[in-house]
Amino acid sequence: MSQFLNLLAAGLTSGAIYGIFGACLAVWFRVCNVLNLAVGDFAMLGAIGTARLVQTDHLPFAAGIVVDLAAIGLIAWIFDRLVLHFALDRGAGAHGIVSVFFYTFGLSLILEGAAKAIFGTDVYAAPAIWSGPALAIADFHVQRAGVLVIALAIVSGLALWAYLRFTVSGRAASACGESVLGSRIVGIDSGLFRRRIFIVTAVLAALFGIVESPLTGFTYLSGPTISLIGVVAAGFAAFRRPGRAVVAGLAIGVAEAMLGGYVSTTYNDVLLYAALFGIIILRPEVLGLSAEPA
Amino acid sequence: MSSGAAALEVENVSVSYGKFVAVESVTFSVGAGECVAVIGPNGHGKSSMVTAVAGLVRRGGTVRVFGQTLPAGSSRAAVQAGLVLVPERRHLYPALTTRDNIMLGSYSRTRRLRARQAWDDVAGVIDMFPELARLLDQKAGTLSGGQQQMVALARAMAAQPKILLLDEPCLGLAEAVARRVYDWLGSMTATDMTILLVEENPAHAVLVADRVVRMYKGLVERPEGSAA
Repeated sequence: MSQFLNLLAAGLTSGAIYGIFGACLAVWFRVCNVLNLAVGDFAMLGAIGTARLVQTDHLPFAAGIVVDLAAIGLIAWIFDRLVLHFALDRGAGAHGIVSVFFYTFGLSLILEGAAKAIFGTDVYAAPAIWSGPALAIADFHVQRAGVLVIALAIVSGLALWAYLRFTVSGRAASACGESVLGSRIVGIDSGLFRRRIFIVTAVLAALFGIVESPLTGFTYLSGPTISLIGVVAAGFAAFRRPGRAVVAGLAIGVAEAMLGGYVSTTYNDVLLYAALFGIIILRPEVLGLSAEPA
Repeated sequence: MSSGAAALEVENVSVSYGKFVAVESVTFSVGAGECVAVIGPNGHGKSSMVTAVAGLVRRGGTVRVFGQTLPAGSSRAAVQAGLVLVPERRHLYPALTTRDNIMLGSYSRTRRLRARQAWDDVAGVIDMFPELARLLDQKAGTLSGGQQQMVALARAMAAQPKILLLDEPCLGLAEAVARRVYDWLGSMTATDMTILLVEENPAHAVLVADRVVRMYKGLVERPEGSAA
């Protein structure tokens, strides 16, 4: 029983990491049909930037978080104004598959290179927000950072779900992804929604990197792996449902932990992708991918 | 139905796509409460002109709504001035419900509200399109072409337009459905609604229009004020 509970705790923690990055990807894709392949790099900058500001530059922890998140929000805003605005709003750049992947993939490479130049190749971890020994209830042990990671994922997922479901602004954001022209006809500024949600998800990913980093540590190379994990979790949520991405992420994390604990860790990735392929082919409606009559 | 004063003034409006000039210095006006149809062959600039008036494409020239000059290329300013377009091919939000599609027509007024409050604000629009009442929770992408056109019209009416722009409202619809759309349009012309209708089919246009403007090769064939 204690092995099961500890595997569950580990699975929920890693699943929360999958889920939150999946949610960040899904909500932005829903608005502008572009995958944010730099989401992991924003998490990396959150963790490493805060660690550097606090440990090397001796800023108070709270001030370090605020300065770091503000800087990341600014980077996201600048990227949107200099690249996405011209490419997507003014039609200056290439479209189709290039717009879906390439612009944010390029940003990922730039952020990775800049992080290497500024922070070097060391492993960084921001200070723990909730420090102390692991919480223990009988034989059940969970790291405090893990509790924060799970809580932040659930709160963020619920907040994004509620925003899209209950507010006019959330419906308008969804409309932008459905039809840019259709949204402009009713006075919705699709570029503004894209920019706002890009900045919010970049800052959220960075905050998550700060919270998560005491568990995993970050190097300048951590971003792409995190982004890939997010893509998989978002895939289980049809790239459009942030609440479902969190649920999917948690389920994936728990399934992986159980497989690793009771069977073998060797086949974790194989099973993960096989499950995704199987659902896409056999039950696409589960992901909201089924064809609908015109 | 015109009361005489110009509701919409289009002056020397031009639209280019790269080197291709789609609309060349078009000038006309629509009186308050008047229904003007712009007719002409396919591909001669009618849709480019009307989307430019609605602020959806960049343009030269001047557009005034009840004397207020609209900034070029700002659909938001056009909607806020009361200019609402029902576009060719409708451009609904297929994964959203009929209710959401209609409700978002009121976005410029209700954007800070909860979705339920915004719907309460526009629910009366359904009285004009009773057949949509049973389809409110259905995704717009699953509706028939005629139903989708009704949703597009309802979305426009939810915006409480002062001037309604319609671009080929019956394109691709069966004749019976087209007749229903024109019946509705006829009822609108009986009110004080100002309407600019783009229509390829002159037989449809004359059913509701007070006046007709012809476009050919990006030009208005007979500008206002010239000899007939």
